[in-house]
Amino acid sequence: MFRHTPLRYAALIILFSGALFTAFTAGYFGMEILTEILILAILVLALDLVAGFGGMVSLAHGALMGLGAYAFVALATKAGLDPWVAASAAVAITAGTGWVIGAICARSHGIYFIMATLAFGQMGYSYFFEQSFFGGDDGMVGPRRFDLGFIGINLNDSRSFALFCLAILGVIYLVAMAILRSGLGRSLTGVTHNEKRMRALGLNVWRVKADVFGLSGAMAGIAGVLAAQHIMFISPKMLHWTVSGEALVVVILGGLGTLVGPLVGAVAFVVMKHELSHVTTYWHLIVGLVLIAVVMSRANGIFGFIEARFRPKTDRMIQSIQTRDDAKEIAKDA
Amino acid sequence: MLETRNLDKSFGAIHVTRNVSLKLERGERRVILGPNGAGKTTLFNQLVGEIVPDKGQILLAGEDVTALPVAKRARRGLSRSYQKNTLFDGLTVEENLALAASVHAGVSMTLWRDALQSVQVRAIVEEVANQVNLMPYIHAKVSEISYGVRRQLEVGVALATKPLVLLMDEPTSGVGPEMAKGFHDLLAGLPRDLTILIIEHDMDLAFAVADTITVLNYGEVVFDGLPEDARGSKLLRDIYLGAWEDA
Repeated sequence: MFRHTPLRYAALIILFSGALFTAFTAGYFGMEILTEILILAILVLALDLVAGFGGMVSLAHGALMGLGAYAFVALATKAGLDPWVAASAAVAITAGTGWVIGAICARSHGIYFIMATLAFGQMGYSYFFEQSFFGGDDGMVGPRRFDLGFIGINLNDSRSFALFCLAILGVIYLVAMAILRSGLGRSLTGVTHNEKRMRALGLNVWRVKADVFGLSGAMAGIAGVLAAQHIMFISPKMLHWTVSGEALVVVILGGLGTLVGPLVGAVAFVVMKHELSHVTTYWHLIVGLVLIAVVMSRANGIFGFIEARFRPKTDRMIQSIQTRDDAKEIAKDA
Repeated sequence: MLETRNLDKSFGAIHVTRNVSLKLERGERRVILGPNGAGKTTLFNQLVGEIVPDKGQILLAGEDVTALPVAKRARRGLSRSYQKNTLFDGLTVEENLALAASVHAGVSMTLWRDALQSVQVRAIVEEVANQVNLMPYIHAKVSEISYGVRRQLEVGVALATKPLVLLMDEPTSGVGPEMAKGFHDLLAGLPRDLTILIIEHDMDLAFAVADTITVLNYGEVVFDGLPEDARGSKLLRDIYLGAWEDA
């Protein structure tokens, strides 16, 4: 079952504080990098939900994010819908598409599941690449950002937009936690542990997988809507399998199946990308070496390494606090 | 409550179930005996839907369930425990039972609500934990409890779906004589209206708990009757001594 340890709460507080500090101190470029991290963090949270907790390693999440972006832009610019309505519809579309992909792929496992999701993702990429209605390989110009003028917030300001993305990420994190602690989340844990046994207990295994994939698709769709608003331009590249692959790298780099880890991974990946790309055009090579080192260390990503190193210490601290409290209780009773 | 009619299954040239017809009444406790390779577990797998029979019918509470998938049969009231533990190792005893109970309680797909907080799930978990003597270990992780207790939990998980028919595949497999006796008490304590079909090699336990006994050999029913008739049966002795072919 999903458990949030004190260390995870501490990591969350540090990450959140760091994001707030950056938002209020960084210049324009720093703000852009922060927003990029926050949007990537939403995508990798969505991926961690299915890959880390459900064992469904997906190479379709880039496409789901891209679908969200295209649906949002098309509904807002071509259909002329209010951006909030367009965004809600786009998220509903990605949730539905995710559910269908999850339902179809639910019976496959391992490499076959990965290949099936890859196929779905690439089908989406090819469609938007060829479809002139959506701008073909030229892509589309995004609509203006959400209007929050009624509460005095101008999202065209990059700081406000970064803080808006941070708030959305916070909400999505809480939603992901709620899902994992719900009946559906517990069933997902059961399915990941032993699918055959859960089926023998009467559980509709494919439905659990499809529902979780649909919810994850909705989250990826939200990342797509924010990405379209952030760069105000979308292209079929957003749907390419390499985006999904990169998201998977971030999840593994941070710590699969921890929720916090992918956030750490998103920070590490984007910072590495920007810092290393100043030094060399072969920055991917260095990221690859870091990933290999992380995988070879047998720790569950960067956060897994931190957990393995510090968890016994925090456990001991909690135990000593509990023992002290118990002793106080006994003394009081005496 | 549970009936098979002319159930037949082959894997290539190997005939594993030959025309098996059984009828279990409500509340009946039947033990299936037979040497290794007699087709006992394969019969179980067909009953729960993990293997599709080539021929024949399976009826649960009068309904033909032969074509139903595993999950649907389980929801109709057919539950099983496995010969090898199939528990959720990283979870506690309580969470293992709750996973099974949440399916029965219809809260296994709910969002925004923890299944463990459901009143119905908590009631089932408590009831089953008491039935299979798991209360002392309720908050322990599976990895922290002994093998014998895990066998109890294996049965508990199957019971937590509140089945009409419980199939138990060698519940005492790998446990010592003391623990096997404990299983006898455990079985005796289960509700009398629960129909139970058990595969068991421990003869003492088998004869102690069985209302009826079925003996399988080479996939075929060679004995079907009362324990007292089975006890003195030369046929049964010959099968277990491996002299069936000469008998």
